[in-house]
Amino acid sequence: MFSYYLQLGLRSLRRNPILTALMVLGIALGIGASMTTLTVFYLMGSDPIPWKSSKLHYVQLDNWSPDEGAGSDDRPPDQVTYRDAVALMTAAKADRQAAMYKISLPVQPENPDVKPFIALGRATYADFFGLFEPPFAYGQPWGRDQDAQHARVIVLSHDTNETLFGGVDSVGKTVRMDGVDYTVVGVLAKWELRVKYYDLTNGAFNNPEEFFMPFTTAIETKRRSTGNNSCWRSPGAGWEAYLDSDCVWIQMWVELDSPARVEEYMAYLNSYVEEQKKLGRFPRPLNNRLPDVKQWMADQEVVSRDVEVQVGLAFAFLVVCLINTIGLLLAKFTRRAGEIGLRRALGASRRQVFMQFLIESGVVGLSGGLIGLVLTGLGLVAVRSLYRQYANVTHLDWAMVMTTIALAILAAILAGLYPTWRACRVQPAAQLKM
Amino acid sequence: MEIRPILSALMRSKVSMILIGLQVALTLAIVCNALFIIGQRLDLMKRPSGMNEADTFTISSIGFGQSFDVQSTINADLNLLRSLPGVVAAAPTNAFPLSNSGWSSGLSLAPGQRTSTANTAFYFVDASGVSAYGAELVAGRDFKPEEISFRTPNDEVMPRVAIMTRALARQMFPDDSDPVGKSFYFGGEEGEPATVIGIVDKLQAPWVSASMVENTLLLPSILTGGSSSTYLIRTEPGRRDEVMKDVEEKLATANRGRIVRGLRSMEERRSQVYAEDRAMTIILGSVIVALLGITALGIVGMASFWVAQRTRQIGTRRALGATRGDILRYFQTENFIITTVGLIAGGVLAYAFSLWLMDRYQSPRLPWHYVPIGFVCLWALGQLAVLGPALRASRVPPAVATRSV
Amino acid sequence: MRAGEFVAVTGPSGSGKTTFLNIAGLLEEFTGGEYWLDGVDVRGLDDNARSKLRNEKIGFIFQSFNLIPDLNLFDNVDVPLRYRGFPAAERKRRIEEALSRVGLASRIKHYPSELSGGQQQRVAIARALAGSPRLLMADEPTGNLDSLMARGVMELLEEINRQGTTIVMVTHDPELAARAQRNVHVMDGQVTDLGDEVSLRRQKAATQPDHAAAV
Repeated sequence: MFSYYLQLGLRSLRRNPILTALMVLGIALGIGASMTTLTVFYLMGSDPIPWKSSKLHYVQLDNWSPDEGAGSDDRPPDQVTYRDAVALMTAAKADRQAAMYKISLPVQPENPDVKPFIALGRATYADFFGLFEPPFAYGQPWGRDQDAQHARVIVLSHDTNETLFGGVDSVGKTVRMDGVDYTVVGVLAKWELRVKYYDLTNGAFNNPEEFFMPFTTAIETKRRSTGNNSCWRSPGAGWEAYLDSDCVWIQMWVELDSPARVEEYMAYLNSYVEEQKKLGRFPRPLNNRLPDVKQWMADQEVVSRDVEVQVGLAFAFLVVCLINTIGLLLAKFTRRAGEIGLRRALGASRRQVFMQFLIESGVVGLSGGLIGLVLTGLGLVAVRSLYRQYANVTHLDWAMVMTTIALAILAAILAGLYPTWRACRVQPAAQLKM
Repeated sequence: MEIRPILSALMRSKVSMILIGLQVALTLAIVCNALFIIGQRLDLMKRPSGMNEADTFTISSIGFGQSFDVQSTINADLNLLRSLPGVVAAAPTNAFPLSNSGWSSGLSLAPGQRTSTANTAFYFVDASGVSAYGAELVAGRDFKPEEISFRTPNDEVMPRVAIMTRALARQMFPDDSDPVGKSFYFGGEEGEPATVIGIVDKLQAPWVSASMVENTLLLPSILTGGSSSTYLIRTEPGRRDEVMKDVEEKLATANRGRIVRGLRSMEERRSQVYAEDRAMTIILGSVIVALLGITALGIVGMASFWVAQRTRQIGTRRALGATRGDILRYFQTENFIITTVGLIAGGVLAYAFSLWLMDRYQSPRLPWHYVPIGFVCLWALGQLAVLGPALRASRVPPAVATRSV
Repeated sequence: MRAGEFVAVTGPSGSGKTTFLNIAGLLEEFTGGEYWLDGVDVRGLDDNARSKLRNEKIGFIFQSFNLIPDLNLFDNVDVPLRYRGFPAAERKRRIEEALSRVGLASRIKHYPSELSGGQQQRVAIARALAGSPRLLMADEPTGNLDSLMARGVMELLEEINRQGTTIVMVTHDPELAARAQRNVHVMDGQVTDLGDEVSLRRQKAATQPDHAAAV
């Protein structure tokens, strides 16, 4: 019976092509708009590291001014001071921990064909690689001992290794940056993140860094952060004073494998801050936080307000398209009251008429969904050209393709429900003139 | 026109009326709010930065190696830049409008004051700074060459003279018509205050979405963070692109121990910094167009259906003496009534949407005039959409009435 | 055709009865001949003028009633009066008068679907009468009714005719036709006058099938 209804549906759609085109176009446009925005919304907001996102916690300590809070709603600063980062790293109370900051260094390639260039890097600890699990193509991360030794070692990104060494295994070779030679200990494979969740303060949609080096090495060579730096009071003169100041410029992540460990760590942070209060620091009330990845992304509004508004708007648009489709289906089905009466007279049950027309709506939905899918693809291309930084969150994956088609069919069937119900209430006799 | 009979006929087919009405209502609500957002973004985007954007560009240099001397490089670069044909002014700077990156801090009126009076961006420049930005000095004087010194971010003591924007001066000294000569302190510092020596009409801070975007303080120092330096270059009108190419090449060859990068015109920066706002206006604009299109098509579809369904009725009316104009007006009036009902609902919905946006995103209230303007537009859209089907209806021959079923 | 007559037009299906009706009722234009309606030459009149004439001088009664289902009886009878441009009080008076004349004054707020076929046709007659037409065109007025209802409708028409309104009734039922004063038979577009010795003398172009008699 299904294939018979399908045939009937297709034939009926061919009968008034303009009305059919209007319905299909309506659904396709609605689906295209809502799925384009939904894809961006979903990819921006989705968990970037689902297998352990609840174990990764961002450290926030409120060392801010007694007179005003760092953020709105009494939020603590979104980075920590050098002093506190080093203290937490030394205490090593978490299962893994890494302080980090953004740096940029001029690279002086040995190969004379490659011009010197500025590379963006991350100064961090060995645990960074265990925390965020970037894939290695060659070699391995540096060790904790090398953190302690301020070793001149470096991990290169896939692309940097491509530029400097033509993509071969460069472990053991050296890279000269700003006059200092660093030994390559590892090379990453392609590492693409939709959201650079480990450093949301310096551009959530930036690509991962071009190189990674020990935090201690960067500090020893007096590399200032090229990311955000905030001070609530003057740090004083000189590098040492800066390191000792209440300026925040470091991101700190810890891995805590169970809720109990989170509690323990929180207790440790609180006791640490209480200690510091005795030294005259942390003038504000105790306000330490340990958001996990998803919470931190929500706090930092990774999904921008514009994107949220766009999603809302696109779905309102879809509703309008559906109302439109309901109207047109109603028109189409009402015109066929005679046919329905005849079918009923010839023995079709109300249920059978219902199925026939519901399948016809489904066919409209499927066609709308397929065209909507194409429109979604085009929409994403458009979004990509409008927002260059969204390149990583404007791709369709299988889940979204299936969602699109399912949404379209569901939408059309929902839209078809009322007209179909009306259609099958036609009395067999009413339409037949004896 | 015969409104009551049309109304009572409509009440007999409520569903269709509700469908079109709902569509019109949602369309009005969305279009009003979307247009309002677009308007806000356009207002943001057209704010002047206070700079001569058309003729100005920036370029940076980063040296490498221990032997690199940033101070002598800057002096040499400035001499080179100022000697190039087409260059009107060149200045070292740490930040500029439309770049979203820079240094900001609080200023206060009393020594050791705990909360600052105003927040402002700091632009560290030399004596050509005001000229290179293309800002207009409206009171006081410019910096003198002897006031300029080199400094690093780790230096504690700030310069003792400064030029501020009118907006910042108004916030710092609201009661003084002439802020030149007034003193202020950086943050909570104590000791000798700094003095305002000049006022520029307008020069935006780097952060376009900050509330303090009009607050800028110019300070007479060349700030060197490590081995890098940035230059702001204003050219003779129309020569920017040619000078840009020249500058990049000359700086690169003048000193091989550094990397020259970040060559960008202010116009390019403006388009980048407002890319999201522009994208939002384009996306919202497309939604509006698509929405109006769908609604119009919906009206065309439903009206065509009604005409087809009522062909016999139309014929009867014609037989009973209705002219073509009567039939045309009938459908136009009907559309007007449905649209109006939808618009009234939509007006309420538009304000509800606006309240939701205010509550969730702290956006401003929808100004009242958007809704009446939306009414007029959608009335026009409805009449336009119904015209085709209504004309078709008016051409139904009266003889249809005698045709047997 | 003279004022005050009751003429029945008969003929088999497809003989041109409806065409005759459409032309006589000014619903269609005609290609030859001439037609004077109540002293007006209708040939060459434009659509608006003919609409006006229909509205003022002709009342229609259709086989399938053609009441507007979305309107109640009052509004249905009101339709031609609206186009006539009468003031509200005049329209109300005429509607009430016409509906009481057909015996439906008590059903004024009802919708057509709530009435029997005979009652619907009486509403249609009320609608036709409300504008005080000179000529009533009835197209198989009893075709969709059973014989009892049909008789009631016929009696109503005869009474209307007695009160001075000219009636042209198209029917295929010879029994009904017999009740008219004069019978016109249409066959293959040709007209034969059966019931009256005054034949269609003033008909000018009998060779054309699409011609109508003049009043």
